[in-house]
Amino acid sequence: MGLLHADLRSLGNLATTRTGRRTLGGALVGLVTIALMWWSTTSVLLESRHLGTSLQSLLATALMPCPIVATWLGLSLAQRQLFESAELPLWRLAPIPPWRGAIEVGVRAAFVTLAWASAMSLPFVTTLLLRTQPAPALAWALVPVALVCCTVPVLGTILSVQIVLVRFFSGRVLRIVLTIVAALASVGFSAWLLVGLFTTSAPRVATAGAPAIAVPWIVDTCAEMLASAATGENDTTPLRFALGWLGLTAAIFWFAARLHPGAAERHLATAPATLRRRSAWPSAVAAVVRRKEFAQVLQQPVALMGFVAFGALVWVLVRERVFVAGILAQRGLQPDVAHLGAMVMQWFLAVLLVLYAHMGRLVLWDGPQWSLWTTAPASPWAIVRGKLQSVALLLLWPLLLVAVIAGRAYGASSAVTLTFVATTLGGTLAALGVLAVVGTSPRLMRPDLGGAMAQGGRSFLAAMLLVLLFEFAMSPAVFAWSWLTANVHTAAAARAAFVWVAAGAWALGLAVGGVGVALGVRNFRRLCAPQ
Amino acid sequence: MNGGEPMIATTGLGRSFDGRWAVRNLSLAIGKGELYGFLGQNGAGKTTTLRLLTGLLRPSEGTLRIAGMDHRADGARLRQVVGFVPDTPPLYDYLTGRQHTALVASLWNVDRRTRDERAERFFDVLGLRDAIDEPCKAASHGTRKKIHLAAVLTTAPQVLLLDEPTTGLDPMSTRRLKDLLLEECARGTTVMLSTHVLEIAEQVCDRVGILAHGRLRAQGTVAELRQRFGDGSLEDVFVRTMEKAESTDDGPAAR
Repeated sequence: MGLLHADLRSLGNLATTRTGRRTLGGALVGLVTIALMWWSTTSVLLESRHLGTSLQSLLATALMPCPIVATWLGLSLAQRQLFESAELPLWRLAPIPPWRGAIEVGVRAAFVTLAWASAMSLPFVTTLLLRTQPAPALAWALVPVALVCCTVPVLGTILSVQIVLVRFFSGRVLRIVLTIVAALASVGFSAWLLVGLFTTSAPRVATAGAPAIAVPWIVDTCAEMLASAATGENDTTPLRFALGWLGLTAAIFWFAARLHPGAAERHLATAPATLRRRSAWPSAVAAVVRRKEFAQVLQQPVALMGFVAFGALVWVLVRERVFVAGILAQRGLQPDVAHLGAMVMQWFLAVLLVLYAHMGRLVLWDGPQWSLWTTAPASPWAIVRGKLQSVALLLLWPLLLVAVIAGRAYGASSAVTLTFVATTLGGTLAALGVLAVVGTSPRLMRPDLGGAMAQGGRSFLAAMLLVLLFEFAMSPAVFAWSWLTANVHTAAAARAAFVWVAAGAWALGLAVGGVGVALGVRNFRRLCAPQ
Repeated sequence: MNGGEPMIATTGLGRSFDGRWAVRNLSLAIGKGELYGFLGQNGAGKTTTLRLLTGLLRPSEGTLRIAGMDHRADGARLRQVVGFVPDTPPLYDYLTGRQHTALVASLWNVDRRTRDERAERFFDVLGLRDAIDEPCKAASHGTRKKIHLAAVLTTAPQVLLLDEPTTGLDPMSTRRLKDLLLEECARGTTVMLSTHVLEIAEQVCDRVGILAHGRLRAQGTVAELRQRFGDGSLEDVFVRTMEKAESTDDGPAAR
């Protein structure tokens, strides 16, 4: 049995165990959900076909997720697999070519990346080809080639660069840099996905008549290849370019793989970066749990830098006016109302990006230490309180960032900034309530007896549920916004209304937060109870 | 030592991490069929030494030869004759124990018939019959360790390196493991194990080495060490060696 055979066997064996079936089922449900949501978003662009957008442009839009997914997974999942895979010692000890392990990681990463890329690209590509009557068989045959050529070369290049970097520049600094890059890739992909899913393409289609995106040349080449085949022109130049690029990057990865044993050894020899702090710890349960959560952030330079990196991301979101360009440009809208609306919207997006990560602090990240909580005589309420207090404080970071960055960028008055802070503090309470319910849900979060969580399936569903519930909890803000835009036309009226807005946000926050925390404590008690 | 060329030979072996020496000036000569016990406190450098011997780490200084082969020159040939069971076995979670064994045997170029003959024997000896057709993910730590041990033994290594082999094993399994190791040594396999369980070292090891702060402080048969450090159990010998290391040493190998 070779390494590839072993991976395929493992995949096949997933269906034979309950945990495996749950992981597999969850992953499939997740991919299908993403596929449907992405397809429904991108299919709006079909309307632009009547406005003269070329088939090649639309195919390029359809294929665009491929390199983005490859970048994300190459920098995050595949990076961990390259240097920390559980099977790595076995591969390195075995009398097989030393580069074989890196190739296996590349194959695994390509498989996962292609699954994601296919889920996001294939439905729209298929729709476009079905609309091109009659699409020749060659066009259909070239679809897998296009997906592979848009995905695998990017992935291979990213893996090669990481191997070379670790082989020649290994050290604490590089380890920190790579970890930050991995975190940024994950957050960046989430932001891109959210923006893509929740901003409609219709206005863009109506105004520009064409998808206004810049695409990498390989995507453009593959789109040209498909368009050429679909229209019967059968120009083989783009196909030759695409295959040539695939071959070239495969060769680069093959050479880089030879450096992998040395890189893996250097990675093993480099200790993860930590900061040591010596200070007295409290003894009360909630206080010590809170302190423990903060220590996990403050003692990891990477986590600290992640917070700085998140600040940079918020700055980009504000500068690009993501989600809020329409609000700020809306004619007749009272400026203070527009500023408040834009800032609250940016805060909503920023919180959405970190909510899942913070939810992990409740149960998910404590899986390996779960027996500590279940065997401790401390009250679940005290434990959850400590965890929620730390999350509440960490959730102030997006609030502070948006208040400072967006307030300055949009030229918001101090009254608007104060109202924003008061309103979003209420919103933070509501976010905390949602997070408490989902983050402790026994069905989604229960660690097994060994402390392991069934990754993939359940955590993905938890993320989806978290986003949906948070949006639902924030839905009263939509009514408040409608009322403000319809009734407030002067600065004086805006200031009078802002008091009610803040009060309403606090009422909502206390209600959602109170119910959420109560349910969270009940859930946590159930999680800690003997099975 | 049972005579002949040492199967494990190191001279002045050392490895540093970020300027701090984990192991230094380690010279060993372990013969064919010998069972060598490596003792030391937590962080003494036992696992680093085993990783150096397996080729997972490269030495910062010194020489290393396994079965007459230089670690720098004979990569794949050297790996062919070495078997390593780390404290955390590198199992594929969703392969069954039998499939994992097949994979390991395949990587070590063992043909199917030989593999099946050997594997069945080791499954029986290690009491793995009930667990061998279940995915490894479901197995306990001890069972995972036994599965990987069976897989490694299926490759018939000339040098077998074991990191804390009895951790997580029940008394029956520990007994079976001890018998198995003695049997393997009798067949000519050189075994080197690191352990905190001094009784095991006392019962089965031909020689033991005591490591402190990355340096080898004492080495010999248990009887020789008793003679040198005064009568008593191996535990007494170990404690005296540690005390001597603390009092005479200028600290960890780094200093």
